[in-house]
Amino acid sequence: MARSLRRSHHPGKLIVVEGIDGSGKSTQLDLLHKWLLSENYLVAFSEWNSSPVVRRITKRGKENKSLTPLSFSLIHAADFTDRLERQIIPALEAGAIVLADRYVYTAFARDVARGCSPQWVREVYSSALQPTLAFYFRVPLEESLRRILVGRPELKYYEAGLDLGLASDPYESFKLFQSRILQEYETLTEEFNLTVIDATQPLVKQQEQMRAVVRPHLEGALKAGAGSVADVLRDEALLGRYLEQISIGKNGEK
Amino acid sequence: MTEVRYYGQAIPGFNETYLPGKLIVVEGTDGVGRSTQIALLQEWLEGRGFAVASTGLRRSELARRGIDRAKQGHTLSDTVLFLLYATDLADRLESQIIPALRAGMVVLTDRYIYSMIARAQVRGADPKWIRQVLGFALIPDAIFYLQADLPHLIPRVLSEQGGFDYWESGTDFFKGRDLFKNYVRYQTRLLMQFDAIAEEFGFRRIEANRSIKEIFTELRREVGTIVTPMKRQSGVGT
Repeated sequence: MARSLRRSHHPGKLIVVEGIDGSGKSTQLDLLHKWLLSENYLVAFSEWNSSPVVRRITKRGKENKSLTPLSFSLIHAADFTDRLERQIIPALEAGAIVLADRYVYTAFARDVARGCSPQWVREVYSSALQPTLAFYFRVPLEESLRRILVGRPELKYYEAGLDLGLASDPYESFKLFQSRILQEYETLTEEFNLTVIDATQPLVKQQEQMRAVVRPHLEGALKAGAGSVADVLRDEALLGRYLEQISIGKNGEK
Repeated sequence: MTEVRYYGQAIPGFNETYLPGKLIVVEGTDGVGRSTQIALLQEWLEGRGFAVASTGLRRSELARRGIDRAKQGHTLSDTVLFLLYATDLADRLESQIIPALRAGMVVLTDRYIYSMIARAQVRGADPKWIRQVLGFALIPDAIFYLQADLPHLIPRVLSEQGGFDYWESGTDFFKGRDLFKNYVRYQTRLLMQFDAIAEEFGFRRIEANRSIKEIFTELRREVGTIVTPMKRQSGVGT
């Protein structure tokens, strides 16, 4: 029997994507987002490490490399909890579909890969709500590395796991760190019964599978109140020439 | 601190089992005179040849500014603020407290996890959860709880701190604008929480309704018994 997080009693739906860097999860979530908007659903979006107040502390800690596995974990928990209380729960209460790019499973995988106790990390995040759907984009390490490392981008200190001292070369360190995270994800997939998508398939195929899983959960989900601008344009044969000057119609952008 | 012990899980990546210094906590509610006593203790200890480091809640390089900013805007929930305080403590433990203990210093800390626990419990947090989150905290060598009652605290807050603080009055929590009434209600609850956890964590109570001098005399005698054996220790790390 798979483990669950705290049960949600809200009318909205929470859909999350997980996976290592280079798994293509954000691309797939973005495609899902656009589809839901085109279907006129009320969608809210929440991204890992984006709480306005907390993120500044995290940024500072990353810049001067003062974060340890412990403080790294705690500051991300503060960030998550702030977004949970301020963005995710209110939107779910209102009946929206909430899309989250990374959720608590990211912390369970990363923090444990950094040496935190699995049990402790799960306790820290015990206020998290069970998502309606949690997708895990499974990709072999070599494939994700190929996608990320093509062009030899500059890897950031914590991104490469250099704080762990696994290797002094950022690329070597990144590989070792990602492989640890991947291992943790594989455990989580069973523990929390994540919906696995084979992320080596063509993008369009992954999106088809994702939509097929999501579709049955959309019944009764709240639609955007004012209707879409697209409807008016179509029905009234307008071009929307001046819409670009105002903010309406940009809800879909991050 | 002879043997390194934690309330819960050990700090990740930290394997030492022995630290030659001593960790001494001074706890107590607002206006009880913690910082005064710590300043006196530090000077007294240094006069006796002990190297001293002092720290306190919200003094980490990492989280201090963020917490102050958040408090100004009053935008963060109790849970998030608690997690930021936990981050602040983690940072200070790893970058200040443990290095000082490793070097054989006496570390005096103005409040520790107990104020965080009391504060969170007043605000209705799950007692089990806050203890689990704070499980990385080192168990100190001694916790001195300066205990005073409200009639003694109020004049001190008025004369020395220039009035009632928004946060120490729990005005974030009670919402009413009467700071004095809030202060009385909030501190009463806080004192009850301190009382409730005193035994769990083994507080040594110092009766703080007395004069600064009387409190200090008792405190330095108690601290003396903790630090004196350090003079008989052999070199660092043995």
